[in-house]
Amino acid sequence: MAMATRVKQEPVSPTSSSSRELCSPPPALNSSITTSDYEQRILLLLQGSTKPISDKEIQNEIPNLSPQERAEAINSLLKQGSLEIFKQGDKLVYKYKEPSSSSNIKGADNEEKIVYSIIEKAGNKGIWIRDLRYESNLIVVTLQKILKNLENKKIIKAVKSVSASKKKVYMLYSLEPDSSVTGGAWYNDQDFESEFVDVLNQQCFRFLHQKKEAVKNCKDGPIAAQNMASASSKDVWKYISELGISKVQLSVQDMETILNTLVYDGKAERTVLADGNHMYRAIESLLPPPGIVRTPCGVCPVFNQCSDIGSINPKKCVYMTEWLE
Amino acid sequence: MSVLLGKVCSLILEEHFGEIVSKVGTDLFQWGPKPLALVASSTKLSIDKVKQSLCVLLQYGLATFAPGKSGRVAEYTIQTEKIFSLLRYPRYLYLIKSKFGVEAETLVEEFLRVGFDSASRLIVKAATRLQESQKGSDNASAYLSTLRDKFVSLVNKQFLMRCPSPTPVDEEKGEKPTGIPNLTVSKTQLHLPPTLNMKALTQLLEGEVADAGDEGVYWRVNFDRFHQDFRDQIMVAAIARRIDDNASEIFQLLLQLMYIRTDPWVRVSNPIPYSELRDTLRKKDPQSPILPHLDQYLKIIEEDSSGFITRVGDSGGGQFCINMHKSFEALTWTCIENIIVERFGSKAARIFRLVKDRRFIEQEKIQQIAMIPAREAKQLTYRLMHENFLQLQELRKTMATNAGPNKTFFLFHIDLEEVARMILDLSYKALYNAMNRRDFETNENRRLIEKKNRIHSIALSLQAQGAPAEQLQEIEEMMAPPEVDLFNKVMRRVQKLSEAELHLEETIFLMQLFLSYNMQ
Repeated sequence: MAMATRVKQEPVSPTSSSSRELCSPPPALNSSITTSDYEQRILLLLQGSTKPISDKEIQNEIPNLSPQERAEAINSLLKQGSLEIFKQGDKLVYKYKEPSSSSNIKGADNEEKIVYSIIEKAGNKGIWIRDLRYESNLIVVTLQKILKNLENKKIIKAVKSVSASKKKVYMLYSLEPDSSVTGGAWYNDQDFESEFVDVLNQQCFRFLHQKKEAVKNCKDGPIAAQNMASASSKDVWKYISELGISKVQLSVQDMETILNTLVYDGKAERTVLADGNHMYRAIESLLPPPGIVRTPCGVCPVFNQCSDIGSINPKKCVYMTEWLE
Repeated sequence: MSVLLGKVCSLILEEHFGEIVSKVGTDLFQWGPKPLALVASSTKLSIDKVKQSLCVLLQYGLATFAPGKSGRVAEYTIQTEKIFSLLRYPRYLYLIKSKFGVEAETLVEEFLRVGFDSASRLIVKAATRLQESQKGSDNASAYLSTLRDKFVSLVNKQFLMRCPSPTPVDEEKGEKPTGIPNLTVSKTQLHLPPTLNMKALTQLLEGEVADAGDEGVYWRVNFDRFHQDFRDQIMVAAIARRIDDNASEIFQLLLQLMYIRTDPWVRVSNPIPYSELRDTLRKKDPQSPILPHLDQYLKIIEEDSSGFITRVGDSGGGQFCINMHKSFEALTWTCIENIIVERFGSKAARIFRLVKDRRFIEQEKIQQIAMIPAREAKQLTYRLMHENFLQLQELRKTMATNAGPNKTFFLFHIDLEEVARMILDLSYKALYNAMNRRDFETNENRRLIEKKNRIHSIALSLQAQGAPAEQLQEIEEMMAPPEVDLFNKVMRRVQKLSEAELHLEETIFLMQLFLSYNMQ
């Protein structure tokens, strides 16, 4: 499979060169019983093997199938969406594919079905219209028409991505967009809710800090005290959920993201338990604010321009005068 | 060695020793090791003045000399770190006072004032000073024995050390006299306390000529020993902040035990066995509440992210090493993070810590993990980069010359040593500014200050003559109320700036310490 590259999904003709004109008209499903019999056998053959199977192998397995019939059978299976074609070297190989639900778009034409199947494959991450165009090989106008059509039928939907505000991705209507598309709980219509995050960050810290304060006079030894001061992400999640500050449902995962910001704020420390879960504990910085920031120079915005000469100098410095008052 | 360092050094020298010494010091700083004649020619000072200045610098240990390449002429080198110790004098004195009491403080103060001296002379001087300051007692000789004991304990604790003395040239071995004294002191003598004749000391105090038995032996302050204590203080205080007072007490003990078996300035101490620590603690206080939880405390200190100690073995209930280098790395990180919090806000500090944690990280990831809106995150990141707290590393996907930004990863990272150097430079500049401003404030109001001093001295002399209260009042009123107000205001400003200098010195101390560990 590593060698195999996907080829465009188009009907196979018995001759090796395939083009749309030469393509035989798709046989109706009920046209001949023998064909569908063969189809079943090919399907069984493909299902039985994990590796893709070449034309020749089919021929060997089912010797009494003429090339013409074989092509018809494969075309038909292809249409049903129960097999896929790959190109391995210069040979075509076939592989079994779970029949997609494409058959449940009623009254859809070929192109719609193809577009639908591509969108379906993109799952809840969605697919961008440009990628869709490349994959389906359709021209923009047709594609847009198809998308509009499908959208109107509420088969697919367009979702705005948070990573790029103008980028729309398409996915099946029934799917919940992935958090990488919506940004998860932290986004409201593409806007990052920084205030919400800040509030949660503060509340989490308060929770951890309270725990730490509560064990100050613990008599059972320092390790017990430290363990009591620690909280798992689940504990914090419970606390925050009970507080009811969030209007959206947050997951434990979300809580961990928030707690990690606390770790990066230097206000908490994270320890890993044996079972892979994280514990969080409020900590104090090792040092008080250093001496340099207690002078006006330490926080001066024009420090780099300051020198003995020129209009910015320590003798006339307004920041220093203000500080000295 | 930056331009700012040179500026700060010359300003410190000027403040303590005047313009000429500062000029010579600056010249030595700019040129490196240099003989007397060249200093005189480049400073355009007379040879005598340069000689005197060099004498002053040598006396206080701010410069050293060594034979030059030719071997016949001495070259002088300035010691910049020693110049910074001039700023720390108040801290040294405070440390000694809290550890050994007032008498020891007076001794060290006298040493700092003269640079180096013999034990007997210094003790006599200190005794006179103590008598003057405490008017109640009139007998200075009462202090002599305490002073001698304090002197000995200061030497034993290595706060004082013996000055190297010139060794006579051994002509038998084919050495030729060069005219440059060769100063040496044997290791055994370095901290060997002197034996002093008490009777001779008393005679010396009364102004008679006597031999106290230490002719030609000179002593000076061992600054490294003080710095060692400052360093320990920083670490112990950090542990107290991070864990609690019990942990810091344990750490203090660990440090004490470390000095028994390890040179104080190495990067990692030799292992200290748990049993020894426990015994020391028990000896100190058998009822200590820490004892039952000692192993737990050690575990907590060991597991803390700052990495102050590591467990290296299990013999004797566990062996622990103190990681000096690692501790100061952690402390430097914290210091820099605190600076960023104050300068750019806590969100910027979050980004900084994130980059520190991930080592190399892309902009996109920063905003995602730090949970900061993209715009703000970008601004803060670029600001940190602009101010040299973050560095940018380009990583090209292709080696083509015309590869656009799309084909390149831009990774942010931190070079701690570089940032520490930058903070050090920043502190030098801030220190320079504060000192400059203080000079400016005093110069601006020089007349007022002089007036105040004059009035004060007149009042004192009148008081000594027993003048009536009304007359004193009259003298005091020679300064108008607005003048008094202004004077107080100026004094407050000067006071505040001096405090700032002390604070800055702390930052400088930490950064210098980290860099010196890093260079080891």
